Amino acid sequence: MAITVPASGAPAERKRGLRGARRRETLEAWIILTPILLYFSIFFLFPVIANFYISFTRWNGIRGRPEWIGLTNYLRYFRPPYTMIITNTLLFAGFVLVFQTALAFLIAVLLNQEVRGRGLYRALFYVPTLTAAAVTAQVAFAFISPYDGVLNAALKMLGQNIVIWTINANWMRAFIIIYSIWRGVGGPIVLFLAALQGIHREVYEAAMVDGASGWDMLWYITAPLLKPMVIFVMITGMIGSFQIFEAVLLMSGGGPANRTNVMLLQIYNDAFVNTNMGLASAGSMVMAILLLGFSITNMRIMSRGQVAKD
Amino acid sequence: MQTKKKKPLTLGRAVIYALLIGGSALMSYPLLYAVMGSLTNMQDFLSSPLLPIPRTLYLENYTVMVTANFPIFTWIQNTLIRIAWYITVPGIVAVFGGYAFARLRFRGREAVFTYLLSSMMLPGIVFWIPTYIMLARFPGAGGNNWAGVGGSGFVNKWPALLIPGLVNVYYIFLMRQTFYSIPEDFEEAARIDGANTLQIMRHVYLPMLKPVLTVMVLFQSVAMWNDYQWPLIVSVGNPRIHTLALGVQRALLSGAALKGWPPGTAMTDYPFAFALAVVASLPTILLFLWLQDYFVEGVQGFALKG
Repeated sequence: MAITVPASGAPAERKRGLRGARRRETLEAWIILTPILLYFSIFFLFPVIANFYISFTRWNGIRGRPEWIGLTNYLRYFRPPYTMIITNTLLFAGFVLVFQTALAFLIAVLLNQEVRGRGLYRALFYVPTLTAAAVTAQVAFAFISPYDGVLNAALKMLGQNIVIWTINANWMRAFIIIYSIWRGVGGPIVLFLAALQGIHREVYEAAMVDGASGWDMLWYITAPLLKPMVIFVMITGMIGSFQIFEAVLLMSGGGPANRTNVMLLQIYNDAFVNTNMGLASAGSMVMAILLLGFSITNMRIMSRGQVAKD
Repeated sequence: MQTKKKKPLTLGRAVIYALLIGGSALMSYPLLYAVMGSLTNMQDFLSSPLLPIPRTLYLENYTVMVTANFPIFTWIQNTLIRIAWYITVPGIVAVFGGYAFARLRFRGREAVFTYLLSSMMLPGIVFWIPTYIMLARFPGAGGNNWAGVGGSGFVNKWPALLIPGLVNVYYIFLMRQTFYSIPEDFEEAARIDGANTLQIMRHVYLPMLKPVLTVMVLFQSVAMWNDYQWPLIVSVGNPRIHTLALGVQRALLSGAALKGWPPGTAMTDYPFAFALAVVASLPTILLFLWLQDYFVEGVQGFALKG
């Protein structure tokens, strides 16, 4: 805007005021942001760089200096058991994601019908999300414990033979997946329900006038309008279920023979049980790389600032 | 007032209710089981495996926590200290940071914001390992010499539970979006009246930020109440600074030694284990039931606003 400033006093005064405001804003911004940036650089930027460096070294983190060993740590991730650990992580994340999203969608659609006590149902589905994963996963073991667990007690009562769940990798995988869905389905339900309630009733009424059936409306109206929310739920769900930890640590410990082991648990064990910081850092880099596509999409959605109203 | 048409109970609606009731019963079953189980004695518990029914109300699983001087109150106290700290500091950071990014014009604003936001591209484990080493080798702390060698630094000590995570980018982002939604006129009017920035924050913005701050306090409280992974990494060796989730999990794992079971007989005393789990879980659930609307708004807020 090219506005010539007249020679009279008042606008010049205002101009100086504006420039003064700018100077004040810049000063205040840096007073606020300097400590934040300083802290952030120490506890984010520096660790990320350090982690990258450590991932090429052999180091116990306790004493001595990191010893450069090139790509050795990364190459471990191409050999067993690490290949199986990555496969398990993808398997769990995939199963949890697909079933959790589908289930949440279904329940949200049901809740969006005119049902009485919608808040109560929503609360009952959301409550598991509020529990500590460490506590509920540990307690879940009370259900599957081989000799005195609830499931086997029930089997015994029904006159069946008991099953030693913990030595059966597929049963343990199933339990971990079911537990994760139980604890995670509440958030997506709330999100889907909110998005559904954001769709105007008139859209459905118009479709009904045109003779659309319930399924038509679900498929041609509800599903497309909910697509942005589905994408958001799936991306955040992917990032979340990729970092599944407590359920595996406390229900199976990764066993039997690594067949339920996942990346975050292995990284934790490498770093804090086996004190092999280099290998653990490499693992966290592998995880970051595998998640990068999802993380960037997530950040894009965030910085756009909107999910549902596209 | 809107009058609602009362819908007749058709087959379709019956199916909807059946699915909802069945589904929510299935979701609640483990928690109901734990609550009922915690109120039964061992004999009753063993005689009804599908759902424990207390014949007589049995409270000893709870009273023993008090009479036996169980550390659960220390863990609760530790957790409350962390909740207060992790509400106050990240809250102040988020309010002022959000204000700076939304309201103050300065060169480099977008670059600084992108720098903060970029941290969300990486899973937490990428900075946990170096942060752990930094705290463990902090010079002069916990028997370390000036080079950070020789002791265990801040590991198993309070600072490790209070230093990381004070700048929460999610909350800064949420605050920035909230500031965008407030018209600038309020601030301008206050400036003309001669108010400075701190006064404007206190008297103009703080009242308007109340809803979003409530959401933040609730989510941060639940997150810290349940926090497990970082406390496990840095404090597993010191039960006196355990947080509730960590302490209860360790107690469940090591067996209910308190009631005379030898360690290693993991959770043989299920009713007591369930009582511990109930104590650890009930407060957040009650908080949710009390303030459900704020929670729902918060869950949506993270998706719809940021």
